[in-house]
Amino acid sequence: MDTLEPAPSLSTEVACPGCDLLVRIDDMRAGETAKCPRCGCLLSEFRANAFEQVIAFAVAGLILLGLANSYAFLTMSSNGMDRRITLWQAPAALWDYGMPLVAGMVAAFIIAVPALVLLLLLAVCIPLRAGRYQSWLETAAKGVFLSHHWAMVEVFIIGVIVSLVKISELATIDLGISFWAYAAFSGCFIMAVSSLDRVQCWETIERLSQP
Amino acid sequence: MSGNSATAASRNLAACDICYKLAPAQTHNCPRCGAALHLRKRNSLQHTLALLITACILYIPANTYPIMYMDQFGSTESSTIIGGVVELIALGSIPIAVVIFAFSVIVPSAKIMVLFYLVWTVENHSPLSSRQRGLMYRIVHFIGKWSMLDVFVVAIMAALVHLGDLLVVRPGIAALSFAGVVILTMIAAHRFDSRLIWDTTDDD
Repeated sequence: MDTLEPAPSLSTEVACPGCDLLVRIDDMRAGETAKCPRCGCLLSEFRANAFEQVIAFAVAGLILLGLANSYAFLTMSSNGMDRRITLWQAPAALWDYGMPLVAGMVAAFIIAVPALVLLLLLAVCIPLRAGRYQSWLETAAKGVFLSHHWAMVEVFIIGVIVSLVKISELATIDLGISFWAYAAFSGCFIMAVSSLDRVQCWETIERLSQP
Repeated sequence: MSGNSATAASRNLAACDICYKLAPAQTHNCPRCGAALHLRKRNSLQHTLALLITACILYIPANTYPIMYMDQFGSTESSTIIGGVVELIALGSIPIAVVIFAFSVIVPSAKIMVLFYLVWTVENHSPLSSRQRGLMYRIVHFIGKWSMLDVFVVAIMAALVHLGDLLVVRPGIAALSFAGVVILTMIAAHRFDSRLIWDTTDDD
């Protein structure tokens, strides 16, 4: 296997996913973006160190998600009584109240899908960073672009804040280590996903697959 | 970067939904990533409509049944989605009430109406330009998942608020219907092919 230097620029032709207009991207440099001239859709955003950035944020995100599952997420106290929950108890409570479908959706959207996306991002970006072709690259990259819409980490963070306001009349709430770990994880997740440009990713995979 | 105002379809090229690779329209699978290749998403309008109608039906129980019950000192209070917003206003949490109202009431209903409108105007005249409708589609696609907010709030409250028999929060059946509405409208937005907006247009 040969290792290839990262491409300094990007030249290709794409059809705008929003309106099907053929757009020629010529010699796009780091930091430049390509937009569809007809409908305004963002087509590509070329980054110099995209794969390194994705790896860094994905590794940090996975560690933080591990932490978020290891400590107390929220603690409520009222009239001398305490109630402490972990992150998993949010979906688990729905399960216990006889709503397995909603429990499954919540667990998928806040934990399982984001974790899967980060693992797939690593499976894609580590070989791309090293400039080595691997047989799983296409499958893993397809997985990333099919599933990342279904991660709702930032929505969940806002959901926690809304819940705190609703409960604050009834009891005192303490934010646990897990909450802060999850908040940091959601930042890393968003950065990891948005650092990977679809056109750049697939053009690099294609370049590596051709000896 | 330059546009030559020819579409991929006019050159008999199909673009892959997953990796954006261009290939002759007769190709069955994308030569780069292997995904099924179509000139346009298959049966896009029918699928979108079917999902939207299902979402509309589920939207009724989502708003009429309680999304949450609160048992406090032996008495039970139930609240619907709108009821939750009213309670928040009564508590004086106006900003949070606005957030919940926007994501749980305005976004889902506006999203369903916008998608119906976009499907309708693919085959009928629209006073809005294709560019405006394309922008509407992108906003609807982007904002859809934020409606799950209320479901997450119910999940967190049901898990956290459980102090013996004194104070217990339980989820209501509307949480299931509402999660269904959000997911169905997300899939509907995904199934809609925004290139259809431009296929019948003359404006560039």
